[in-house]
Amino acid sequence: MAKVLVYSDDAALAAELAAFSTSVPHEISVLTLDEDIDPALLECGAACILHAQCDGIPEAYARSLSEYIQNQGFSLFIVGATSRGRDIAAQVAGYMECGLGCDVFNLSFDGQTIAYDRSIYGGIAVSSEVIDGIGVVTVNRGTFEGTNGSVESIREITLSYDERMTLVSREARASEGVDISCAERIVGVGMGLSSQDELALAEDIAHSLSGAIGCSRGVAEERGWVPASCYIGISGKVVAPKLYLALGISGQVQHLYGVRDAKIIAAVDKNEKAPICSHADYYIVGDIREYAPLIAAELNAR
Amino acid sequence: MEKVVVCYKWVLDEADVRIGDDGSVDLSRAKGKISEYDRNAIAEACDLASLLDEGEAVGVTFGASPSKASLKDALSRGLSQAYWVKGESASQADGFITATCLAEAVRCIEGANIVVCAEGASDTFARQTAPRIAALLGIPVVTSVMEAAVGDGKIIAKRRLEDCIETVEVPFPVVLGVLPEIIQAPIPGLKAIMAASKKPVTEFSADEFTDGKRPLCKVAGVKGSTVDRACVRIEEDDPKATAAAFVAALRREGVL
Repeated sequence: MAKVLVYSDDAALAAELAAFSTSVPHEISVLTLDEDIDPALLECGAACILHAQCDGIPEAYARSLSEYIQNQGFSLFIVGATSRGRDIAAQVAGYMECGLGCDVFNLSFDGQTIAYDRSIYGGIAVSSEVIDGIGVVTVNRGTFEGTNGSVESIREITLSYDERMTLVSREARASEGVDISCAERIVGVGMGLSSQDELALAEDIAHSLSGAIGCSRGVAEERGWVPASCYIGISGKVVAPKLYLALGISGQVQHLYGVRDAKIIAAVDKNEKAPICSHADYYIVGDIREYAPLIAAELNAR
Repeated sequence: MEKVVVCYKWVLDEADVRIGDDGSVDLSRAKGKISEYDRNAIAEACDLASLLDEGEAVGVTFGASPSKASLKDALSRGLSQAYWVKGESASQADGFITATCLAEAVRCIEGANIVVCAEGASDTFARQTAPRIAALLGIPVVTSVMEAAVGDGKIIAKRRLEDCIETVEVPFPVVLGVLPEIIQAPIPGLKAIMAASKKPVTEFSADEFTDGKRPLCKVAGVKGSTVDRACVRIEEDDPKATAAAFVAALRREGVL
C-alpha cells in the first residue's frame, strides 16, 4: 500500500489535494497544523487526518516533518502551492534529499515512480519529469476535482519546532478587495493603462462582473497602483477564473502563465500584434479609455 | 568581514524561445541573461551588506561555460567578488544538484552569514533553491521576504504571504528567499561596468561539489505548450456595437 501525505496551510486546497488518485492501492493522509481541524478536511475522503498543534511559524516544523515522513514510510508528499507550502515542500525535499516538482499538473504515481508535467520558460513550454522513489510535489488549486467522504481516523502527532525561528508579529492583510485566487471573474490591468484614472474604468467593469481586479507585475511593483497581492504571473498569483478580461495587458509569457487555466480569456488592447490577442478567446483592438465604459454599460444593461 | 552571498542564475531569455509547429522547442536563438528576479536579489544583497559593520556582498552562480558571461554583469551590479561553480552538465541539473553546488560554494566562503536567493529563476521557476540550500547547510530559511533589516547578529524579515504580513527574527547564518518587490534592480552605469572587469572571480568545479550525485528529477521530454484559444477579434461598425458584440460573446460562453 503506497502511502501519500497531503498538506496545505489552505484547508480548502488540502481537501482538494486529498482527491488525488492513482491506479495502485494507496492511502492518503492529510496533515494539518491548524489549531482546530477545518471542517472541509473532515469531509475530504482521506483515510486519516494527522493533526499537529502548531505554535509560531508553520515552516519551522519542516525539518521535523521530513523526519516524520521518512519514519512513517510515505512515498509521495503532495503540498498545496501556497507561499508557505512551497517553502515547506522545498525544505522537506532538501532535508530528505529527494526530488521536488514545483507547481505540477498531470501528476501520476505508480507506487515507484512519480511522473508529472510542469511549465517552464514562463509557460511557453512544458517539461515532463519523473522522480524515482520518494518525492515531493507542489500543486496549484484547480488541479484535482475534490471528492466527498468521511475521514476514517484522526491522529494527533507531535512535530518539533525550529527554535531559531521567532515569530515577531503577524498582521492580517488589509482588505484588498475580492481575493483573486477564488474570484470567478477577474479584470486584469496592465502597463497599457496610460494613467491611474483608467484603473477606475477597470474597477467599474470588475464591479459590474462581481469580479476582482488583477494586474501585471509592472502595475503592482513599478507603478504601485494595485496591491502586490493582485499581481498575476509566474512569480505572483496563478488563477483559474471563468473569465479573465485583460485591459492593456500585452501578454508577456510570465503573465500568461498565471491565467492559462482561465476558462475564457478576453482582451482589449490597442496593439493587434500584442501576444494577448493570440492567447485570447475574444479580443477588441482599441483604446481602453473608449471601450471600457462601453463594456461596463453593456454589462449593466441587463 | 561578514559576507552576504547572493546566488544567481544565468538563464536563456524566455522571450527568445521559439516553439515549432510540431511542438518542438528551439533554444538556438535564445540569448543569455541574469534571471530578472535574481537582479533584485543581487541589489538586496548589496543593500544588506551596506547595513553590516564590515559587510561585503559576493555572488555565486552555477552554470556551464556560457554562464561565464554573467560574471561581469553580476559584478557590475555592486558585488565585490564572484564565485563560479562551473559544471558543463548544469542544464540537466535539478533543484537538488543546483542547491548542492551552491551550498558547497557557500561553505567555502568565509564569513557567509546571509545567503540571498530569488524565489525562482525565470526559466524553470522551480522555487526551491533557498530552502534546499538552507537544509543542506542546516541553517534556517525565510522565504517570501518583502523587507529585510539587519539586527545584532540576526535578520528581521517581513514576509508577504497570501493572508498576512509576517515578521520573523532569525539569527545568522540564514538563507533568505526574497520577492522581486523587495528592491528595484538599477541598471549598472558605465563606471561600474568598467570596474567589474577588475574584480576577483573564483572558480570551483561542480563535479567536485556533487561528488557523483545525480539529478533526482529526470526530464523525460520538453515540448511547446499548446494554446487552445479561439482568438476571435470582435469588430463591428462602431465602438458601441463592438462592445455589445464582445459582451454578447462572453454571455454566450456562460462566463458572465
